[in-house]
Amino acid sequence: MANVSVAAEWQLLYNRYYRKPELYPMRWKNIDLSRNKVACAPFGGPIAVIRDDSKIVQLYSESALRKLRIFTSSGVLISDTVWKNPGGRLIGMSWTEDQALICIVQDGTVYRYNIHAELIEPNVTLGKECFEQNVVECVFWGNGVVCLTEGGLLFCIPDFKVMSPCQLAETGAEDLPNCMAVIEPKYTVSGNVEVLVGIGDGILIVDEDSVQRVEGEMVQGPVQKLVVSWDGKYLAIFTHDGRILVTDINFKGVLLEYNCESALPPEQLAWCGLDSVLLYWDDTPLLMVGPRGDPVHYFYDEPLLLIPECDGVRILSNSILEFLQRVPDSTVTIFKIGSTSPAALLYDALDHFDRRSAKADENLRLIQKSLPEAVEACIDAAGHEFDVSRQRSLLRAASYGQAFCSNFQRDRIQEMCKTLRVLNAVRDPEIGIPLSIKQYKLLTPSVLIARLINAHRHLLALRISEYIGMNQEVVIMHWACSKITASLAIPDATQLEILLDKLKLCRGISYAAVAAHADKNGRRKLAAMLVEHEPRSSKQVPLLLSIGEEDTALMKATESGDTDLVYLVLFHIWQKRQPLEFFGMIQARPLPRDLFISYARCYKHEFLKDFFLSTGQLQEVAFLLWKESWEPGKNPMASKGSPLHGPRIKLIDKAQHLFAETKEHTFESKAAEEHAKLLRIQHELEVSTKQAIFVDSSISDTIRTCIVLGNHRAAMKVKNEFKVSEKRWYWLKVFALATIRDWEALEKFSKEKRPPIGYRPFVEACIDADEKGEALKYIPKLADLRERAEAYARIGMAKEAADAASQAKDGELLGRLKLTFQQNAAASSLFDTLRDRLSFPSVS
Amino acid sequence: MAQIPNLDNSPLNLKSLREQSQRDLVKILKDIRGKKCLVVEPKLGGTLSLIIQTSLLKEYGIELRHLSAESVQTDCSKVVYLVPSQRDLMKSISSHVHDDISKGLQREYFIYFVPRREIQCERILEEEKVHHLITIGEYPLYLVPLDEDILSFELDLAYKQCQVDGDTGSLWHIAKAIHKLESTFGVIPNVRTKGKASGIVSDILDRMHTEEPMNSPDMALSEINTLILIDREVDMVTPMCSQLTYEGLLDEFLHINNGSVELDSSIMGVQQEGKKMKVPLNSSDKLFKEIRDLNFEVVVQVLKQKATSMKEDYTEITTASQTVSELKDFVKKLNSLPEMTRHINLAQHLSTFTSKPSFLAKLDMEHTIIEASSYDICFEYIEEMIHKQEPLVNILRLLILFSESKSNWLTVKRALQLVVEDTDTANPDDIAYVFSGYAPLSIRLVQNAVRSGWRPMEEILKLLPGPHIETKRAGFTSSPSFGTLQGASNGLDKIADGRRSLVLVVFIGGITFAEIAALRFLSAQEGMAYDLIIGTTKIVNGHSLVETFFETFG
Repeated sequence: MANVSVAAEWQLLYNRYYRKPELYPMRWKNIDLSRNKVACAPFGGPIAVIRDDSKIVQLYSESALRKLRIFTSSGVLISDTVWKNPGGRLIGMSWTEDQALICIVQDGTVYRYNIHAELIEPNVTLGKECFEQNVVECVFWGNGVVCLTEGGLLFCIPDFKVMSPCQLAETGAEDLPNCMAVIEPKYTVSGNVEVLVGIGDGILIVDEDSVQRVEGEMVQGPVQKLVVSWDGKYLAIFTHDGRILVTDINFKGVLLEYNCESALPPEQLAWCGLDSVLLYWDDTPLLMVGPRGDPVHYFYDEPLLLIPECDGVRILSNSILEFLQRVPDSTVTIFKIGSTSPAALLYDALDHFDRRSAKADENLRLIQKSLPEAVEACIDAAGHEFDVSRQRSLLRAASYGQAFCSNFQRDRIQEMCKTLRVLNAVRDPEIGIPLSIKQYKLLTPSVLIARLINAHRHLLALRISEYIGMNQEVVIMHWACSKITASLAIPDATQLEILLDKLKLCRGISYAAVAAHADKNGRRKLAAMLVEHEPRSSKQVPLLLSIGEEDTALMKATESGDTDLVYLVLFHIWQKRQPLEFFGMIQARPLPRDLFISYARCYKHEFLKDFFLSTGQLQEVAFLLWKESWEPGKNPMASKGSPLHGPRIKLIDKAQHLFAETKEHTFESKAAEEHAKLLRIQHELEVSTKQAIFVDSSISDTIRTCIVLGNHRAAMKVKNEFKVSEKRWYWLKVFALATIRDWEALEKFSKEKRPPIGYRPFVEACIDADEKGEALKYIPKLADLRERAEAYARIGMAKEAADAASQAKDGELLGRLKLTFQQNAAASSLFDTLRDRLSFPSVS
Repeated sequence: MAQIPNLDNSPLNLKSLREQSQRDLVKILKDIRGKKCLVVEPKLGGTLSLIIQTSLLKEYGIELRHLSAESVQTDCSKVVYLVPSQRDLMKSISSHVHDDISKGLQREYFIYFVPRREIQCERILEEEKVHHLITIGEYPLYLVPLDEDILSFELDLAYKQCQVDGDTGSLWHIAKAIHKLESTFGVIPNVRTKGKASGIVSDILDRMHTEEPMNSPDMALSEINTLILIDREVDMVTPMCSQLTYEGLLDEFLHINNGSVELDSSIMGVQQEGKKMKVPLNSSDKLFKEIRDLNFEVVVQVLKQKATSMKEDYTEITTASQTVSELKDFVKKLNSLPEMTRHINLAQHLSTFTSKPSFLAKLDMEHTIIEASSYDICFEYIEEMIHKQEPLVNILRLLILFSESKSNWLTVKRALQLVVEDTDTANPDDIAYVFSGYAPLSIRLVQNAVRSGWRPMEEILKLLPGPHIETKRAGFTSSPSFGTLQGASNGLDKIADGRRSLVLVVFIGGITFAEIAALRFLSAQEGMAYDLIIGTTKIVNGHSLVETFFETFG
């Protein structure tokens, strides 16, 4: 059967199957792993290769020039550069999580390269002590490194993103350690890195502050090699007597013990997932040891490099790359020889179906109940396959089975197809990222996309992000920026077109960010052209300012209608330019100008005056001066009535003169003049009356105050000075006299001459003061009968009110008055009778 | 009764908006750990009382203070200012900080700007050399539901700033608020604007749509069908007139502030000498909901009727033998007794103002001006007011009304039938009942805009200030299926669940209670296809609107 061949490739270790599919034949030529230092990034990342300078150069067969070369996992050269960094031998080389290559040389200098073999400045050094004592060994983890010096000191960079080195506690031991391993900060209780140092007869745990010796039976005697599992929970130890041990990270319990019968420690010791450990000596077969049972031997005639992954080990040789992994459970159930699991039967059924055999139906009926699990197993197994045709047949089996399932999550197959398409695309030898499905899930799609764009695989990244429904902005943005950096020679207009063509693919992308990048690369004109396309003013305007396009910035900010943006531009220009230049820029633009004026009105009076003077708006300066004339009055320290009016009047006079400069402002000019005059008079009044109650009151109030104080002469003087009309004079005087309840004077006043406004003010003033008797003196004199009626009504004289109203022949008024007297039944009926009588003649 | 209005009956889910604002505020306060002193600008404090109960705030370890010129007295080491983005407040805050420094007090300062930080404020903090000492944040409160159908942007000074200072910041704020509404309730397909400011808001709103496209493919599901923007400048006549609805009069005489009035407790029949009390006024009060928009004359009658019927019920209950269920009914009615008492007290208090001859004379004058019948009488009346030294606001209010009713007023008045004779205020058939015979111009415009759009009345619109624009949002015209759908339903489109679709009417520069009453009247008419929701920069009356133009000297 077809299935047999699949399982035939598996090896059994205890009760688990392992397989070792070939991922790529290596495309590189003439690379000998044994003569090079090689750094392979996990998650199918790039491979950095450089000649090992601790080995003798083979004359004529190798160039004397050392080159750092970076390949994909499939051996395709990405980039190379000549290595001529000072600082002695290259001791350690490894990739960070961000796929930067860290190279540490003898004197403790750390060089960083990106995937394009470009040095990332600045270089960092591990410190002076490290410089004085050579670095002899480096142990890397995902995002940090621990270095050992000749003097036995340990230095650490806990995070490559921060790049600040520190020294760890001194072990105090005389000898150099035999071996070291690191427990990553994320797996330690303290959150700081811990180093396991195999030294002398035991193991030390070293961190920043302390050194601790590990106690326990299993660490009797020197330890030769140590490796921590990728989840930080287990430890593989190779002892001096040739045993391989696996314990948990706290050295409790032996999970595996095997005697390798070798006094020499293996050159490489690596975890394969969490299930087994690989040991490699260059002259014996690769050894895989599991918790129980006989180990497995793999035979190679080439040097090897073991690259641990979360779910297996990649095995790199000069010619091929393989992936050694434990066969996933779903795959085992389907392909295990003689398997009668539902999944196996389903897979078999498809085979029968394809051959039009009735046995297909029989198989299906056998597994009817467990069909959903069978389908699920086929989908899962497909996900674990690297071979595309096997992926396909497994998915077809799943799809075939699903057709007979009523309640199965149908999008599972679709989802898996999508995932596999992405995986197959990046596994392509040209791209060379051989991710397993588990690695992909752990890495996350967004990191994968970030890695693709980092490797300048923009098109693929774009397609993938589009395919799996992720935002393409990151990709396009990175592409645009890389494009600008990479092609500084392309003329602005051409470059703009190339960029726009792609940028428009992504709605809402920040043109301003691309423009900022162009500006950083010295392409100011291109930046200006790009920022023109930014729809978001809030991003566009600040950038325009930073590239010196102030005028455009002001225009765009104004167009946006966002006053905050306009202020941003205003303050920027205000600070940078000469006042006159600034004034010139805003003068003809209403919104910026008005906002500036509004701001300056509160906080920058003098500057605002300069502005108005520069634009010839003298009246505005005058208004400002006039407003300022109130300021001294506000000062609580200054007592009223003092010569304060001096400076105030001076300011008002100044304002008046400025108003007089233009014909349009004669009213203001006159008003200012009168204001000054009033202040002077009020000041004199305060001096003569010794009462500080005049300044800053109105002309009317001044007159009333004079009358209330009995100073009729002064009141008359104010009246004449300001040509107060007779009408107003009467109202003021009547009310003033009523205020002091000088009824005698009021009556006298009423008789002076016939009042120009009649007697209504007298009536109102008396009624307001609740003096009915006084009011009655004037009510009969009211000429208007309706007024008379209402006045009577207000003082509660219903009959008189009714009489007057009926004389006025005003029905509506009678009705209204009746309402006023509603409570009073007698009065109420009186109005009704009158109104009835009234309506009669009006009909005729 | 709580001052925070119950929004359960709102045609739009305003409750969710309010809850979001609550959450935003609580998050800000929670994120600042430990005890803190919250210093709120007083007006903003009033606004916040419509969103969250002060007692709730205290649960977050807060000492609550109002911002004033005096420095903050507190033991807390953290001082959190919650203030609108206004320049004048920055000086106070700066002086507080300087004061603390001079006293050797070490405090952590936070300023949360409402609704967003603005560079003009930060600039002053920089000039006062305190900017680096302050952590700055934002509380994006762009609008507050005042009631089931009213949203306020809380921009007291919007009209003055636009008209006098040329500062259109408030228009951006309005656009942003509408934009936020759209992100919750869908993009509004139809926009009708009248007036300069309305045009600007609509422009900014369009810009916001291009800048931050809304990623909703189902634009057709927008809950609001039409946006009508009215610039207060278009109709300055209406707010200058004395409002005659119950709520309008309450505002004119007692000043409704954040949905409540404050008055002497004796007026409300509570015998506590000289004590003030707050009376909440919103639609959670069933009786108020029923009478708030009626002409005050009618309110008095309605209240009288209700009192009488209750009295009758009472006599019946004491004389005749009653079944248990009848007793129950009576007790139920008794539950409404506190509301009855409250409004009888208020109405009684109001009539002391409305019965004054001076008030009647003023009403008379307002009508004379609106009818534009006699120039001389009006002129003399206003002159006399000046001579009598009446408060400046009153004089200006009438003067504005007087000057507004010049030039095209006669034509507009006639064409839009603004003066309606024989208005039956008890059973009104036109919005003119709110001013006893004058139909507010602003609402006539809205009435026409809702009914038939601007086109049929273009000639009249041209006589009023500012442009008028009618647009259909791009996203909608491009979709042919939606276009036909619109056409077929002939504007009478209903949302699936049977609710009427909505028109959002936004007044830039403020709306009066009388106008709100008129809009509610329209909304309640048979044959009206829409529910109306009102947005406004602030609820105003002639008094408060004119006062914003004052500048205090000396």
